[in-house]
Amino acid sequence: MRVVIAEDLFLLRDGLVRLLQAYGHEVVAAVDSGPAALEALLGERPDVAILDVRLPPTFSDEGLQAALAARREIPGLPVLILSQHVEQLYARELLADEHGGVGYQLKERVIDADDFMDSLTRVANGGTALDPAVVAKLLGRPRRADPLDALTERERQVLALMAEGISNTAIAARLFLSEGAISKYTTTIFAKLNLHPDDDTNRRVRAVLTYLGAVTSHDDA
Amino acid sequence: MLTRIPGRIGAGLYRSLTLAALTCVLPLVAVAVGWGGALFAGTWSPGPGAPLIGRIAVGVGQTVAVLLWLAGALWMTHALTSRPLAQAARRRASRWLGLDLAVDYRGPSPVTRMATGFWWDGVEYHKSEREARRRARMNARFHDPQVKWDGLWAVVAGVTVFPVTALPLAGLVAGLGSVLYGRTVIGILILLAALAVAPLAWLIFQPVAERFLGPNAGTRLGRRVRELETIQADLTETQAAELERIERGLHDGAQARLVAMGMSMQAAERMVDADPEAAKVILADARASSKAALEELRSLVRGINPPVLVERGLVDAVRALALDVPVEVEVHAAVPARPERPLESAIYFAVAELLANVAKHAHASHVTVDLEYGEETLVARVTDDGVGGISPASPGSGLAGIRRRVAAFGGRLEIRSPEGGPTRATVSVPCVL
Repeated sequence: MRVVIAEDLFLLRDGLVRLLQAYGHEVVAAVDSGPAALEALLGERPDVAILDVRLPPTFSDEGLQAALAARREIPGLPVLILSQHVEQLYARELLADEHGGVGYQLKERVIDADDFMDSLTRVANGGTALDPAVVAKLLGRPRRADPLDALTERERQVLALMAEGISNTAIAARLFLSEGAISKYTTTIFAKLNLHPDDDTNRRVRAVLTYLGAVTSHDDA
Repeated sequence: MLTRIPGRIGAGLYRSLTLAALTCVLPLVAVAVGWGGALFAGTWSPGPGAPLIGRIAVGVGQTVAVLLWLAGALWMTHALTSRPLAQAARRRASRWLGLDLAVDYRGPSPVTRMATGFWWDGVEYHKSEREARRRARMNARFHDPQVKWDGLWAVVAGVTVFPVTALPLAGLVAGLGSVLYGRTVIGILILLAALAVAPLAWLIFQPVAERFLGPNAGTRLGRRVRELETIQADLTETQAAELERIERGLHDGAQARLVAMGMSMQAAERMVDADPEAAKVILADARASSKAALEELRSLVRGINPPVLVERGLVDAVRALALDVPVEVEVHAAVPARPERPLESAIYFAVAELLANVAKHAHASHVTVDLEYGEETLVARVTDDGVGGISPASPGSGLAGIRRRVAAFGGRLEIRSPEGGPTRATVSVPCVL
């Protein structure tokens, strides 16, 4: 895949480049600031981009803003955001445009290289890869008029794993169930969350969005 | 209502009488001295045949003499009576109006003997101790700034509170006199008017007391200085405690783990040829250690300066906070710009503490956080529909900590929490955005 990297710490940037090359990907740009990141995203149109949230010159959330701006220009441009801390707020903002192709992970997840590459591939294919830490926070959050009230405990577990972005096969392995059981669960979840199959949206992403409460209502006309 | 009227008239009469008594001294002395002085000065007659210039000179002299007597008499009266009368008025103000008008008098300053053999009374030197003590007492009586301020109260109250509160009394006397002299109808009307005015007359006390009976400017400044000294001491202490906490967190946590990791790596390095399996186990351990070290560092950083606050500022940081609380939280924000960083951090931690309290104690189902800016004040309000009944002095609620934190910026924390809720905690800090 063609990858853009935006990370201001040289050690991490260098490490990421090596890691990606070791896995046979091509790093088309490795930049260290917000404006440069946006330029690279729009100029290179990579298959996937890896951005640090906090970048120079302001050291605020420039990486996140660059990603959001690039996705406004190129809807669905796959981005994987890395950060030293995970916030629900950022996750919601990333998922709000409903195009999928979004990842949001703690920096140290890079240490588990195989997992990290999995996430990257999922994001590049338009899926989601949310850090379990974000998902855990989301689990502890009650909402009014919660569409999730309709779900059973087991369905919720499945949905939580879906939110992390893993495939049915992997979910089945984690919950010690058969893959057939999982696909049954996903079907009931989609039905309960009122997500009808249509061509142009990824239903898994939509389910996750509902899960996040980022989608309040949408018409299925 | 009707049954309470006699009671109110009685209370009004009693209060008016008391206030008239407490404020009558200076006006009575002034009238007596002025009138008597004028009569006496009037005896210096230049005679009707004197030239006009002489008559004018005598008139001016008479006036000046009366004014001087008046000033002297009032000054002495003030020195002898202002302080006890003002103190008595303050006690009434706190009992009737709930005004807190505590003031500080300096009292006689201590007398110390200098190496030169002279005695120092705080203002000047004296040859004998007795003389120095006498002068210190005199200074305390005549030159205490608070006593001067009390004198101002005596003058102002003498021309405002005294005439108004004396009205019902004068009316009663005049009415009774009229009745005795056979003018019954007019007498009764005057009596009724006096009784009607009685509950209202003493109300003039409040505005005058608020303005003139409180501590003087110097005392207020002194108190503010003490307050600031307390805040400063608090700050220094909390800062030291914070640094200690951070140091301990790094020393016992991340640092120790890094050392352990280095040791594991070294062990793995040695074993990698002889026993690659065991080396792999050790390396996996080291990786787990690095994760744990990161966790610890992350929570430490959160406690020092939450990353969201750095990246996004107060409003979004509070929004992120609200998302992490296990209660339904609504955030309304109308803040035009980011406040100063230290202030921002204080308000953020205050809101975090308040939300944590709600989650722990309130059993609330819905919480609202309002961030507003207006009249050069930044206000953060946390309202919940929980059980209420929090007192600001509740131990372990962290409210004292919040109060200290915002007091450092001249801010305040107010809590209204009736039993049964709703609870509303308001943090307001003056600032310019």
